[in-house]
Formats: sequence, C-alpha cells, structure tokens
Amino acid sequence: MEEQWITSVGIDLGTSTTKFIVSRLRLARMSSHFSLPRYQIVERELIYASAIYSTPLKTGDEIDVDRVSRILSEEYKRAGLTLSEVKSGAVIITGETATKKNAQEIVHFLAERSGDFVVATAGADLEGVLAGKGSGAEARSRNIQGVIANIDVGGGTANTALFQRGKAIGTVTFHIGGRLVRLDQAGVIHYVAPAIQPWLRERGFRIVPGQQVSFSLLQEIARQLSRCMLSYLAGKEQGAAGLLLLGRPLAEVPAIDEVMISGGIGQLIGEPAPTNLDETATYGDFGPLLAHALAQESRHCPFRVVPAVQTVRATVIGAGMQSTEISGSTVHIDASLLPLRNVPVLKLEVGGRQLTAAAVKAEIGQMMELGRRLFDATVSPPFALAITGMGYCSYAELQLLADELAAQFAEAFPDSSIMAVICENDMAKALGQSLTIRCQHRPRVICIDQVRVEYGDYIDLGEPIAGTLIPVVIKTLAFHEAGVEGIQ
Amino acid sequence: MKEELVLDTLVDKVMAELERKLGREKTEDVAEGEDSEQEEERIAVPQPKWREGLRELLASTPARIGVWRAGTRPLTKEVLRFRRDHAAAVDAVYGEVSQSILDEFQLFAVETCFQNTENYLKRPDMGRIITDEGVSVIKQKCKQRPQVQIVVSDGLSANAIDANLRDVFPALLDSLRAYGLQWGTPFFVRGGRVACMDHIGEILQPDVFVLLIGERPGLVSAQSMSAYMCYRPRKGTVESQRTVISNIHKGGTPPIEAGAHIGTVLKKMLEQKASGVQLAI
Repeated sequence: MEEQWITSVGIDLGTSTTKFIVSRLRLARMSSHFSLPRYQIVERELIYASAIYSTPLKTGDEIDVDRVSRILSEEYKRAGLTLSEVKSGAVIITGETATKKNAQEIVHFLAERSGDFVVATAGADLEGVLAGKGSGAEARSRNIQGVIANIDVGGGTANTALFQRGKAIGTVTFHIGGRLVRLDQAGVIHYVAPAIQPWLRERGFRIVPGQQVSFSLLQEIARQLSRCMLSYLAGKEQGAAGLLLLGRPLAEVPAIDEVMISGGIGQLIGEPAPTNLDETATYGDFGPLLAHALAQESRHCPFRVVPAVQTVRATVIGAGMQSTEISGSTVHIDASLLPLRNVPVLKLEVGGRQLTAAAVKAEIGQMMELGRRLFDATVSPPFALAITGMGYCSYAELQLLADELAAQFAEAFPDSSIMAVICENDMAKALGQSLTIRCQHRPRVICIDQVRVEYGDYIDLGEPIAGTLIPVVIKTLAFHEAGVEGIQ
Repeated sequence: MKEELVLDTLVDKVMAELERKLGREKTEDVAEGEDSEQEEERIAVPQPKWREGLRELLASTPARIGVWRAGTRPLTKEVLRFRRDHAAAVDAVYGEVSQSILDEFQLFAVETCFQNTENYLKRPDMGRIITDEGVSVIKQKCKQRPQVQIVVSDGLSANAIDANLRDVFPALLDSLRAYGLQWGTPFFVRGGRVACMDHIGEILQPDVFVLLIGERPGLVSAQSMSAYMCYRPRKGTVESQRTVISNIHKGGTPPIEAGAHIGTVLKKMLEQKASGVQLAI
C-alpha cells in the first residue's frame, strides 16, 4: 500500500445548532522502502458541510432522537455517502446539550449508526481541543513561536484551548454563550440560563424572564462577561471569572500571544454590530451583542486577535477531520477483535534507566491492582495499558515486560479475553509476538504503538487499514490531574 | 558494552584534560539534573534566539547541526567528536565479531574467499563466494531445503553484529514462531557480502533467506545492521530481487521491532513466491 484515502465524518449536536461534515484523510507511506513501514495522515480534506440546523429538542430537556436521525439520513444521502464507507470520525454533544436527559443515550445511538467506526465523545475539554483544531488555531500554532488560545463560543459555553507548537497544552471552559440570555425584539427576556445566574447576582444584574430590559443593560452584561473571561486569559483577575468557570480552572495561565474566536459567536463578529434591541434579537438571543462585546474588549488585551479559518463549524470540523490518528505500521492486531470503543487508559511509566525484574514486577502489579479497582474485570479488554517513558528496549527487557504482563494480567483478569497494549515507542510487533507466545490466545493480544495517550484518556481502536495499521481516536478528557471519571 | 561507554565519554575526558592543561575552569554549571544536562548539551549555540525551535530542529536529525563555532572554525569539542566517530567507523570495518556472541547463538563460522580485510574492500566479488572448506562444513552441518535460512555476517561492520544480534536474532526467531515458519541451521559467514546468499542458496536450496549483515559504517553510527531477505536466492539472482530492512541500530530502526517484522516479510515472500521489487507489502 502506497497511499489510501479514508472517509471520516463529524457530527456536532450543540446547544443551539447541529452540524455534519464529511472529510477524507489521506494516508501515505512516509518511510523509505529500506525501513520499516511507517504511514501518516498527510492530508485532511473537507468534502461536504451540511447546512446548520437548530438542534431538535422535544421538550426543554430532551433531544428529539427521531428528528436528529432523520436529518442525518438526509445529509448522508445528500453527501452521497453510505455507512459502510465511513471509516472514522466523531459524534460530539457539546455545550448545554450535553446536560440534556438523553444525551448519553443519543450519542451512542448515533455513533453506532453513523458508520463502521464513529466514536461517541463528549466533555468540555475535548470539545475545546477539537474546536481549536477545526478553527485553524492548532495549525497556526505550528507556525508561530508562542501560545495561541482558541475560544470557541457557542450557545452555552466558551471552550478555550491553548496550543503551542502543535500541542494542546491546556483547556478551560466558561459559561459564556449566545443563548444564555434569550429575548424578543421588544427587549422582553424569555430565558436566563441558570448557569450564569450566580455571576449575574454577584455583579448586581437583576434580569428575570418576562422583564423588559434596555439595550444598554444587555450591552453592559455582554461587555462584563467578555471582560471577565479575557482578563482571566490575560493572567489577571483570576477571581473575577470564578463564577463563570465550568469545571476546573487552568493550573497556570501561560502568556498568550494570539487569540482566535470560533463558534457561532466567532461568525457573528464578522457581521454588523447591533445598535438596538431589534437588531440584537435577530436570533432571539443576545448573541450578536456578545460577539461584538468580545471583539471590542479583546482590543484592550495584551494578545493579538487573529481571524479563525473556521468559525461556526470549527468543532464539527475538528471532530470529523482532526480527531483521527493512525497507529504505527508494525503492530500486532487481530482484525476479528476490532473495533474496540471507549477503552479507558492506564499508564505504565517505565523508567528511562535499565529495567530491573523487581521494579517491573512491582510496577505492573500496582497497575493491575488499580485496574481491578477501577474497572469491571470481566470486560474484554478491561482497559488499555499504555507503556511510556521507555528508552531503548533490548530483547532481554522485552522478555521481562512480556513475562510480567502476561502472568499478571492472567492472574488479575482471568475472565477477560482481550489484552490491549499501547506503546509509545516503535516496539508493538515485538511485544505483541512475545505476549502471544506466552498467552496462547487466552487472552488474545492487541498491541499497537506510536500513539501517545495519558492516564484518564479513552481510546477507540478502529478496524485495520490494508491489514497493517489501525485508525485510533484518543479522547482526552482533561488536562488536569483528573481521576478516571468521564464518559460512559 | 564497556568499549561503548569509553567511546561516549572519550570526548568529555579529552576536553576535561585540555581544560585542565590550559588552566581554565569549567564555566558551565554542572549542578543541573542529568537529563536536562544531556538535552542541553546538544544545544551548543550560546544564546539561541529561539531555544524551542532549535531543540525541534536538533530532535529531527542526528546530523551535526547547531554545533556553533569559534570564529570561522568548529569548536574543539565538535572536531574531537567528529574524529571519534570517524575512528569508530574505521574500527568497525577492521574489527572482528566476538566469539562469545557466536557461541551464545550456537553459530558455527565459515569464511568467504575474502582472505583479509584489505582484499575484502578491494574485491567485493570474493566476499560473495564461500571457500571450498566452508561449503563442505555447511553441507555437513546444515539442514537441507529449509523453509527459512538464517545467516549472520560481519560485512563491513563487525561491531554491528556485536551490538545488535542479541536483540534482533531472538526477536526474529519469535516472529518465525508466531507465523509458524520453520527455520534451518543458522550460521555465521566471515568476510561476507550481501550476494553470498546466492552461493549459500545454491548449496542449501532454502525457500526464503534472511542475511543479517553489518552495514558500511557512517559518521552517525558504526553499529548499523541490515536484514537482506530474498525468495529462493540462487546463482544469477539480481539485486532488485532482494528486500532489505536497513539502519537497524539503537538510534535507527529498533532492533527488536526489525526482528519482529522480518517474519512478516518472509511470510509474504512465501505467499507471493517473490521478493524485492516484485513483492507487494
């Protein structure tokens, strides 16, 4: 195989809108014919973007599954795509929609019906990173020296992801979005999201549904919301944003050089600023006001604001085009066991120095114990074991690892029929073979490499491409020292 | 192993000696952690405009970049390193594979008609023919018509065999086991060239052949090994019929992974009854 295209889709069910995209990814051989094969995704191309639909809701807190699937089947038809062609991609439920009653149910429902290998994802951190990849912030970070922040402002939340030299280095999410305050053209408030009420109270703003408000009051709210978030990102007034934070704050706010604003609000920045209530309420909410307040306030910040390549579709493009990675090409896989979805990751940090039998035994023992405590021991596989931090691996060290892994896994998880191992270094085929010789197919072994995962991540392993490598989607839930909580 | 350590610290020792003789004190702060010291060591540029960018460039290649200068000339340390690496390359060509490693894997040794290293370098053709004595030893000791024939040879770097065989060889046997392939009697060829597999192929008639051979040493590594593979190598086999995995050493293609992958390649050769440019991998 010299090169191959795979089709990858993205579906985003947001607070206010639902979008769908189709992309194709080009895999190409990057190594010479004298080396071990090594493939990479060298091109990601957007080939279809749906119209932007209002997210169909049945009642206030339930997504209308039927209407969502009707929209999707029409979109698949329009894109000229059959389910079996889809090899990868992601469904993401974002913002406030993720808190709806049947969100988890629907995300899995869609993931299973959207193609062979489409994964279900959710979580504000991941959402922020995907938006940053889709908006073009990640790509730009490779071309500049400093840190770039992508703020994806949608209907319910502002998901911020920080990138440096192509790497996501942190995420933080705020309760800031266009549909948090809804009103009509007469300025009568219809809805104030509970999420921002504590902040409004603290700031002395009193707005309730049914009340008629002035343009200047709304403008002031939008301005202060923007200022709070931006000054947090500028590294000052950490406290002011406190009530707006969703989840954990950044461990440390690095110096940010550039900012991109994506999402629906990012798009509204490019439209004329509203000058009265009538123009504000075009979409029935204060989104247009918020967009321009954000643009205005960002001019007083120490960072440069650069236009996003993609705005309203940033998240869905990130999910569809940027979430897929591929494994190394010399791996040990068993096609009959794939795909595997939503496998939690446990990390085995193998010190850079010479491995000793006692240390390896003890560390693997600890990890198996943690695995038994956290996960269901009868699931196959109960978790994916990530081996990182290893320098050069000799055959003797490989045997040591394989001996301990095979013996201890069989002891700790006798009912599990699959062992999944993810190596950071190029060693999966050798380790997979060593493990298989020991396990004799009980359990069966999947061992892949050249994929970086962290403790707390979830990983999806796709079906083999050309029999030699597999697509993977890594779902990073948090940059914080998170426990294994997350999506189920 | 010991030699390796000496080689790696050689430049540092010479530099320390020079500094002592010139009565200069070390200006660098040695108190840093070992890891960061190692990383920082490669950044010879005193005040890089963009340290992170320089680090990325250095990480992307083993070539001698970002080495800094004194006036228009390279630094003493860098010149010493260069000469050390060059000396290691020369040593690798003139070295011999240690007997202990051959014993460890029960490899008996035969020779080609190379006579001596000087002649080996001048007459590649003579490195392709096994001596008459060797031929009879092979006939006597080896299994005939094996599915897989494994041969190890020093080639242009005996050092490559000493450094990598312990990792590549057992990983290769594991991969043959994993694919259910049967191998014959492995042995060692002193003074071998790649095409010596054609002569051995005539003698033993294997289906597929893998030759683990030391590569021409370079300035990045003097320990690089190749695995040349061929479907039914015989007299008249041309180079385009051989498949190779090259650059096998600690800093290149990982030895255990190379060993593990050889089985996959051999399996494909047996299935397709082809090798080299005709083989679809």
